[in-house]
Amino acid sequence: MPAKFVVYGGMEMENKKKKGYLVVEWAGDGKAKAVYADSGACMLTGMSVEELLLSDPVQAAKSLDMETIRLDDEHELWILDTLHNRRQRLAELEKMNAALEDALNAAEAANRAKSNFLSNMSHDIRTPMNAILGMTSIGLSYIDEKPRVLDCLHKIQTASTHLMSLVNDVLDMSRIDSGRLTLNEEVFSLADSVHDIAVIVRPQAEQKNQSLLMEIGQIYEENLIGDALRLRQIMVNIINNAVKYTQEGGSIHVCIGEREKDLVWLDFLCEDNGIGMSKEFLEKIFLPFERVSNTTTSKIEGTGLGMAIVKNIIDRMGGVIHVESREGEGSRFRVEIPMTIASKSRTAPNLPKGQTVLITESRDARAEQIAGYLEEEGLVPVRVNTGLEAVTWLTEAQCEDRMPCAMLLGQELDDMSVLDLAAHVRGLAGQAFPILLVSEEDWAEMEYRATRAGVNAFVPCPLFKSRLLESLCGLMGISRKEEEEKEGVDADFARMRVLLVEDNALNQEIAMELLSLIGVQVEVAENGARAVEIFEAAEEGHFDLILMDIQMPVMNGYEATKRIRRMKRKDAQTIWIVAMTANAFVEDIRLSREAGMNEHCSKPVDPERLQEILRSRLKNEADAV
Amino acid sequence: MQPYQEEYIANLKDIAVLTARKSPEDRSFEAYQEAFLNDRKQAEEKAKRNMTLLKEELFPVLDRLFEASEEEICELREFAGKLTSVGEELDVGLFCQIHQALLSLARHRKSRKDIIQELYWLGIGRNSLCNKMVGLDSQDSEKYVYKMRLCFTEAAAYLKYFDDIEDTETRGYIMRSRANMALGKFKSVSERVRILKQTLQIMQDKGYQEKEPDLPWEKYIYMTHQLMAASISYSRENTMTSQDIADIMESVYIVYHKRMQEAVEQKERPPIKSAFAYYAITYFCGLDTLEGLLTKMEALIDAADTSDYSGESMYGIISIPAFYCQFMQQYPEKIPERKEYIEGLYRRILLYVEDSPKASENATLFFYLRQLSATFVETEDSISYGEFIQKLQKRFAPDIYVHSHAVGRAAAVLCAIILEEDVSFFDDIDFIRRITDLQEKKDAILTYAMECGVFHDVGKMNFMSLYSQTGRQWFEEEYEMARLHTMVGEACLALRSSTSRFADIAKGHHSWYDGTHGYPESYKRLECSYRQMVDVIGLVDWLDNVTETGRFYTGFRKSFREAADEAVSLEGKRFSPLLTARLRDRKVAEQIEQAFEEGRREAYHGLYKNFQI
Repeated sequence: MPAKFVVYGGMEMENKKKKGYLVVEWAGDGKAKAVYADSGACMLTGMSVEELLLSDPVQAAKSLDMETIRLDDEHELWILDTLHNRRQRLAELEKMNAALEDALNAAEAANRAKSNFLSNMSHDIRTPMNAILGMTSIGLSYIDEKPRVLDCLHKIQTASTHLMSLVNDVLDMSRIDSGRLTLNEEVFSLADSVHDIAVIVRPQAEQKNQSLLMEIGQIYEENLIGDALRLRQIMVNIINNAVKYTQEGGSIHVCIGEREKDLVWLDFLCEDNGIGMSKEFLEKIFLPFERVSNTTTSKIEGTGLGMAIVKNIIDRMGGVIHVESREGEGSRFRVEIPMTIASKSRTAPNLPKGQTVLITESRDARAEQIAGYLEEEGLVPVRVNTGLEAVTWLTEAQCEDRMPCAMLLGQELDDMSVLDLAAHVRGLAGQAFPILLVSEEDWAEMEYRATRAGVNAFVPCPLFKSRLLESLCGLMGISRKEEEEKEGVDADFARMRVLLVEDNALNQEIAMELLSLIGVQVEVAENGARAVEIFEAAEEGHFDLILMDIQMPVMNGYEATKRIRRMKRKDAQTIWIVAMTANAFVEDIRLSREAGMNEHCSKPVDPERLQEILRSRLKNEADAV
Repeated sequence: MQPYQEEYIANLKDIAVLTARKSPEDRSFEAYQEAFLNDRKQAEEKAKRNMTLLKEELFPVLDRLFEASEEEICELREFAGKLTSVGEELDVGLFCQIHQALLSLARHRKSRKDIIQELYWLGIGRNSLCNKMVGLDSQDSEKYVYKMRLCFTEAAAYLKYFDDIEDTETRGYIMRSRANMALGKFKSVSERVRILKQTLQIMQDKGYQEKEPDLPWEKYIYMTHQLMAASISYSRENTMTSQDIADIMESVYIVYHKRMQEAVEQKERPPIKSAFAYYAITYFCGLDTLEGLLTKMEALIDAADTSDYSGESMYGIISIPAFYCQFMQQYPEKIPERKEYIEGLYRRILLYVEDSPKASENATLFFYLRQLSATFVETEDSISYGEFIQKLQKRFAPDIYVHSHAVGRAAAVLCAIILEEDVSFFDDIDFIRRITDLQEKKDAILTYAMECGVFHDVGKMNFMSLYSQTGRQWFEEEYEMARLHTMVGEACLALRSSTSRFADIAKGHHSWYDGTHGYPESYKRLECSYRQMVDVIGLVDWLDNVTETGRFYTGFRKSFREAADEAVSLEGKRFSPLLTARLRDRKVAEQIEQAFEEGRREAYHGLYKNFQI
C-alpha cells in the first residue's frame, strides 16, 4: 500500500511545488509516524526524507498550515502549506465568491427590472387599452349623440397614439439590444426638423400651461446630412420628458445651435424647472426600464426606455449627452452631435439692399434676432415695441414718403393684439403693403383670422434666417409676380366677359372704366330683368362673371340671381355672381347667399377688390380645369 | 340734413319712447298689454321704415361715395353727428359706418385734413362701443379698445406736421386725438399716465400754443387733467406706482381747485367727481386711511341730489357707490359694519333710476349702472343681485324682461315633460343630484328652469341700444358685438352667490350642441355640469327669438310650427336630440307655444301690477 502512495503521490506532488504531502500512520498507542514524504514536505519542514520518516510528524508540521484527509483506519494524507499561501488562496476564493455574488445580484436586478418593466408595461398597455375599450363602449351607447361620440373618438385617438409610442419604444430597444439599429444618411433641413419638433411638443406644453421657449442660436448651415428622424426622436424625447416632469405652469427652455469645427456640431440644450432627479437616479437614467418614481410621477406614463434609446442613438451618431439635475430644481440636458454639411453654397436671396423694414415686436430677444438677420442681408431694420408706436411711425413715414418695404409683426405687443394692429395698418398703408407675421402660434389655426386682418405671410418660429428671408423675398416676389400676373392675367382678363348689372349710370360708367382698363369685356344690363334676358340669350359659358347690383328698378338683384340659378342650362349653376352693394346688414349678406350669389363686394367699389375678385374667379376656373 | 336723415333720427327717438316702460295709468291690464303690443308694433314699423330709408337713400350715397358732392358729404357728417352726441346715443353703429366710409374716401382722396377728422370721429364712435363693455374681462373687450385707440393714435401722429397743417380745426382734432389716446382700458395704469403726461407736455408747449393761438388750449389742458384725474377710478389699489400717484395727484389738485372755484363763483354744490378723485388720491398716497376715504365717499354719496339728473349728480348717486362697493369687494372685512348702508345704497339708486327722464337714451346713466352692476356687493339682508338686475330690466328693457320670463316659463314646461319620463335627466347638476325626495327634486328643477330663463339674457343690459332700442337691423360688426352678451352675463352672474348657478346658462345658451357653431368659444358643453339645462334654455330661447323678439334685429320671422320643425331638423347639430325628440310631438310643441304666451302675459302682468320697481 505505501508503495502505491509513493508512486502516485510522487507524480502528482511534483506539479504542486508550493505544497508538501505526508502520509502518516497512526500506531495503536496514539503515536504518529510518517511513512511517506515528498520534496515539498521536505522543503516546507526543512528536513530530509529520512529525517522526516524518523521524526514525529506532528512536531515537524506544527508551524505549517495543514489539511488532513483520512485514507483508512490507520493512514492519513497530510497536505502541508505555508500559512501565507493559505491566506492568499482564501482571499482569492472570497474574491471569486464576491464576484459571483455580484453577478448573481446583477442578474437578479436585471431580472427584477425586466419583471418590473413587464409589470409596468402590462399596466401601461392596459391603461390606454382600458381607455380604448371603455370609450368605445361609451361611444356605442351614445351613438346618436354626436358630440359625445366625437369626444370618445378623440380620447381613443389619444390612447392609441400613446399605445403606439409604447410599442415603438420597445421595438427600438429591442433593435438596439440586437444591434439592428441603423442610421440613415440623408440630406435634411434643420429648419424643417425644428419646426416639426415645435409642432409636436408645443401642444403638450400648452396643455400644462408651461412656457416653452424654443430658441435658435448661431446656425452655420441649415442643410445637413444625417438621420433626421432619429434626430427628431432624440429632441422630442428629451423635450417631452421635460414637459412630463415639469409641473403645470413651469418653464422649459430649448436652444438649438451649431458650432463649426472640422464638421458642424449640433448643440441641443433643454432645461426645465421641473421636479428634477436624485443623484441615485441620475446614475441610472440611461439604463433601460428605469423611471423616476415618486408620488408626483406615479401618474406619468412611459416605458422608461426613452432615455436609454436616446443615449444609444446619440452614441451611434458619435455624439455625447450630458445631464445635470437637482431634485426639486429641474434638469438640464445637453446633446452634442456631429453633422455633415450637405451644401455650403446657399445663394443669398436677392433682397433690395438699403431698404427699411419695420419690426413691431415687444420681445427684445426676438426683435434683435430679426434685426440681425435683416442687417446681414443689407436691409435696414427699424424696431418699435408697441402697436401705437408702429401706427405713429408708419403715419409719419407715409407723410414723408419713406414707407418701409415691409412690416414684420412679432407675436406679442405690449399694448394690443397683433391682428388688430395688422387690420389698422392695412387700412393706413393700403393693399400693396407687405405685412409678415413672425409667430410661434400654429398658422393653420390662425390663418383665417390673420389673412382677414390683412397679414400677407407667416414666418414660423423658432425663427430661422432662411425662412424669414424666403418669406420676405416671396412677398416681394409676389409683388413682382403680381406685376407679372397682371401682365399675364391682363391677357387673360381680355378673354373674360363680365355682365355688369347696374341701374345707376354713373356707377355703370365707373365700373366699366375700371373693368375696361384691365381689358375685361363688359356687357351692361340696366336692371335684373334685363340681365336675365341677356344671360338667357347668351351661349352657354359666354359670361365668366356677373356683377350684380341689388337695388334696381323692374327686378332687383336677388330675384335676378334666383331666376338665373333656376335656368336649365349648365352654366346657370356655375356662373359666378357677385353682389355689389353698400348694404352691409347681416340680413343682406344672408339674402344674397340665399339668392345664390357667390360673393359680396361692398360699394363704393375698390378697384383692387374688383381685380381680386376677377383674379380669384380666373384661378377658380383654372383650378377647375 | 336731408329729409330722410331727419326722418331717420325722429324715428329713432320715437322707437326709444315706444320701447320704454309704460305706466298703467288708469287702464285695465288687457288695455295695458294691448298698448304695449301696439307700441311695439309701431316701433317695428318705424324700424322697417328706417331700413327703407337707409336702403333707398343712404346706401346709394355710400354706393357712389367717391363721386359724391361736397354738399352730400357735409350732410352725411351732420347726419352722423346727430346719431350720437355727448351723453346721448341714438345709433352709434350707423355713426361708425358713416365715418368708416368717409375715412375710406379721405384715404382714397389722400386728403390729410379729412383723414385726421374722420379718424377722430371714428375713434369717438368706437369709444362709445367700448363703454358698453364694462364688466367684461379685458381679453373679451380689448379688440374694441384697440380699434378706438388706433384711430386716435394715427390722427395724433400728424402732430409732427402741425406746422404744415394750416387750419385750426384740423390742428384741434390732432390735439384732441392726442388726449383721447388715453381713453378706454389699459393693461397698466402707468401706460395711461405716461400717455397723458406726454399729452400735457405737448399742450403746455408754448411753441404749439403760439403757432395756433386760436385753439382753446386752457380747455384742452384742463380736460386732459380731468382724464388724468379719472385714472384714479380706473385703478384698483396697488396697481399704481408711486410715480403714477404723483402724476395723477397733480392733475387731481388742479381739477379739484378749479371746480371748487367754479362752484363758489356759480353758487353751485361742491363738485362731486373731482372731490372723489381728490379724496381717493389723498388715500392712495397715504395721507388718509381707507376708513377715512370710505367715510368721505359716504358723505359725497349722501350729499348728491337725488332729484338732479345731471352728470355730476348721477356720478355721486351711482358711480361713487360702484367704487365704494369695489373697495368692499377688495376689503370684505369692512362689509359687516356697513351692511345697512350698502343695502340703503341700492334701494336709493333704484328709486333714483325709477324716475330718470330719457333713461333709455341716456348713455352716461347706463355707463354708471354698468359700473355699479360690475361691482355689486351682496349681503345677507341686502337686495340680491338677481333682484336688482330684474328691477333694472323692468325699468329700462321691458321687452328683455318679457322675453326672459317667457323663456323661463317655456323652459319649465319642457322640463316638466322631460321629468315625467326621466327624473334623473338633470342629475349632472350637483345641487339637483343631491335632492333625494322626488317631488322636491321636480319642484327644484322647475324653479331652476324658470330662473335660468329669467337670468339667461342679463348680459343684454350692456348692449341695450342693440336689443331694446334698435331702430334697424344690425350690421355685421354689431352682430359680433351682441354675442358678447353671453360673456357679460356669465361675468356678472358668476361673481354673486345668489346667481352663480345661472352663470353657465348665460354663457352657453347660444352654443351649438355639437360644438361646431355658436358662441362663445370658451363654453365647452361636455365640461359643463349644467349642460342639460343650457340645452333647454338654448332651445326655448331660440324658439322665442325666431318667432317673436329676434326678428326685430336679425330679420328672421317664423311661425311657431316652422320654428319647431326647423329645430327638429337641427337635431344633433344645434339642439340636443333628447330635447328635439319631444318637440316632434305636436302636443308638446303646442304646450310650449302656450307656455310662451302665458309667460309673456305673466311678465306683462308683472309690469302692470308692480309698475314701480
